[in-house]
Amino acid sequence: TTGLVGLAVSQNPHERLRILYAKILASLQTMPQDAAYRKYTEQLVNERFDHVKTEPDVVKLEQKINGGQIEEVIFQAECELSLSRKMADWKPWEPLVEEAPPNQWKWPI
Amino acid sequence: MMPKYIQQVQVTCYNELEVMIHPDGVVPVLTFLRDHTNAQFRNMIDLTAVDVPSRQNRFEIVYNLLSLRYNSRIRVKTYTDELTPVDSSVSVHKAANWYEREVSHRGFANAGARRRVGTDWVCVWKQVWDMYGVFFANHPDLRRILTDYGFEGHPFRKDFPLSGYVEVRYDDELKRVVAEPVELAQEFRKFDLNTPWEVFPAYREPKEAPPKLEAPAPEKK
Repeated sequence: TTGLVGLAVSQNPHERLRILYAKILASLQTMPQDAAYRKYTEQLVNERFDHVKTEPDVVKLEQKINGGQIEEVIFQAECELSLSRKMADWKPWEPLVEEAPPNQWKWPI
Repeated sequence: MMPKYIQQVQVTCYNELEVMIHPDGVVPVLTFLRDHTNAQFRNMIDLTAVDVPSRQNRFEIVYNLLSLRYNSRIRVKTYTDELTPVDSSVSVHKAANWYEREVSHRGFANAGARRRVGTDWVCVWKQVWDMYGVFFANHPDLRRILTDYGFEGHPFRKDFPLSGYVEVRYDDELKRVVAEPVELAQEFRKFDLNTPWEVFPAYREPKEAPPKLEAPAPEKK
């Protein structure tokens, strides 16, 4: 029983996390190596993946990852997966689209 | 850091993080902030706009986000002028719905005062379409929200007068409410409240160096 409304307890969280992190890493491969998003997300995902692989106990895994309950971690991983797919479309690592017009952000005027 | 093609300037004003974006990047940046593990800004606190008439892109659209996981706030700013539509953030945050309706109609009369005094936005409800006329593309339901049914005009722009144009309404022999042009009992008095002393000494413009005048070379005789 999670303490949260709307999040059911997940049977077999390790398996689910493993699948999700593998998918995230696969979608990150499509981005160029020097993209900052790819670097940091890979670092994060690999770290969590290692925790998942080494720690079979759910409670200790939650403490190691330090991201709330396991169901929350699963939800976050699903979000990260959808984000990485969208990032592959938007390509945020490209240089700036357009410079701001002069004095746009000047405050006080 | 991450969406590099979007950021222009990152400024922290008294410990608040603000991120300035190009208007094309609204949806990518907001989804990034919502979904990424290091920045779970799931809550949209506010969506407002600021009218600065002297700028080329008049309106500055501001998104305030909160992360419950990391207990931090962030502000995302975009700019637009009167005619360019901005992508709607309703697909990212459902809360933006009414805020965008308000901004597209409503606006902030006191945005300038807000900055000087340092207090928060005046109106925190459905705004922006109603009050400004900023058009949000892909918005599911862009209707007026705070103004009256037949109201023309965008109240919160800086060029809209305090009393409005067609505001006096009273019951007529027609036995209904009628819109008439405004009749003010007293002439509008504009006070000049500017102090003769400099207000922001830290933001002084750097003085241009006076042009050096060279002494004319002595003519050779």
